[in-house]
Amino acid sequence: MAKHIKTITRSRLLKREHTGCGECQTSCQSACKTSCTVGNQTCLNTKTK
Amino acid sequence: MIHCFTLGGVKLVYDVHSHSLHEVDDLAWALLYWELYQEPERAMSVLLTEGYTGEEIGEALEEIARLRADRLLCTADPFSGYEPPAFVVKALCLNVAHNCNLSCRYCFAGAGSLGQTAVLMPSSTARQAVDFLLSHSGTRQNVEIDFFGGEPLLNMPVVEATVAYARERGRAEGKEIGFTITTNAVLLDEHISRFLLENGINVVLSIDGRPEVHDRLRQTHGGKGSHAQVLSHIMQYLQRHREWSGPKGYCYVRGTFTRYNLDFAQDFRYLAGLGIDEISLEPVVARPTDDYSLRGEDLSAVAAEYERLAEAYLEMNAGGRDIRFFHFEIDLDGGPCLPKLLSGCGAGHSYLAVTAQGDLYPCHQFIGREAYRLGNVSGGSLPTELIEQFRTAHIYAKPKCRQCWAKFLCSGGCQAHCHLENNNILEPPELACQMMRQRLECALYVRSRKEQLL
Repeated sequence: MAKHIKTITRSRLLKREHTGCGECQTSCQSACKTSCTVGNQTCLNTKTK
Repeated sequence: MIHCFTLGGVKLVYDVHSHSLHEVDDLAWALLYWELYQEPERAMSVLLTEGYTGEEIGEALEEIARLRADRLLCTADPFSGYEPPAFVVKALCLNVAHNCNLSCRYCFAGAGSLGQTAVLMPSSTARQAVDFLLSHSGTRQNVEIDFFGGEPLLNMPVVEATVAYARERGRAEGKEIGFTITTNAVLLDEHISRFLLENGINVVLSIDGRPEVHDRLRQTHGGKGSHAQVLSHIMQYLQRHREWSGPKGYCYVRGTFTRYNLDFAQDFRYLAGLGIDEISLEPVVARPTDDYSLRGEDLSAVAAEYERLAEAYLEMNAGGRDIRFFHFEIDLDGGPCLPKLLSGCGAGHSYLAVTAQGDLYPCHQFIGREAYRLGNVSGGSLPTELIEQFRTAHIYAKPKCRQCWAKFLCSGGCQAHCHLENNNILEPPELACQMMRQRLECALYVRSRKEQLL
């Protein structure tokens, strides 16, 4: 058990489970319309699995 | 690459390339901090004088080494030779009305007219836009149409006809079409609400927060405030949305903040206090000469306010509310894949905007910037060189982004904003970058605190 570092998220980003299928929602179609934030979009593959 | 920061007394380390987040103690923080500045040998002597034992330092170094080996810390850039996806249109923003029933001072669409004569999109043009989308969407199964303006509810017959037509054409092509509408809610009555709910349309409702904040900039053409009417319609819609038992789209309430409400966390509290659970507040996009524009001197106030907003958000969630602030909902575990994070909003190559006359632009904010007109939905060829400029305008093509810790979370920022301020889609505006980084630190902090709540 780590004493000094608590890992909060172990991202799967590098595991390439989703390979850019391009099916998820376009970020500017969501709620902002002005300030691009892509990190908060949902992966459609994860959602439907 | 790592980013070390403290917020709310918590020391956090975000590993940029693996997207991992760690909370560290003082010792690990000091070791990573020294390492960041490439003076690890100095760390040891300083930490020993600060009272840490050699054993403790050894333990922390071992944890750091383990995370490195697991590719969760100081991870190398995984995608330096990135090749963006080919031109495929996935989403269209239809400006169904170049007209508006409000005259908001900060509107980038120039009170709805987008610098053009007020006009409504004819049904025939909207149908051509649907055909254009489907014929340029390649193998995409899920495509999107966003009704925008101006004020889209001013052209409701065309919105209704377009949804029906798109559904029919989508079925024939074997594609799912998702719809979103962004409205000021002035005309949002029972009939329209029912249509939006029945058709599962995502709805974005514009209100800036407290009455005095909203009414200062979101006024009628006669100069009167619109808050009372808009709020009443929004609350009625939210009630219908809550009561709707069938499948339904999401509903976000969205506001803009300017230098006139640098205390925008109060607007978040105000909206949350009304029972609204999904809220977005956006920094205004403006020229530096606009009186309401955010400036460099406002940055520390904006940063402090995002922190207050984060604390308010956590307090409400800890109290049992499932409240959302759009920009804090970063999903590091199951969010977008790396190619999505690299390709950003898709403006100009997977996301296009269509004017009421059918003219195509890279996105809704580019409308009216003539050098960026891409063609028309009625036919004709598209300018491949211009599209290529957008397709290749990803973070690795932006020198500033390459070295930025926030690159995989913001994806290079808004292309229209880059162009507006620097006349170059590859050069993000510094002020917007700084606000984005402030907001993202808060989002990562929120993520770390939510862990305690779960």
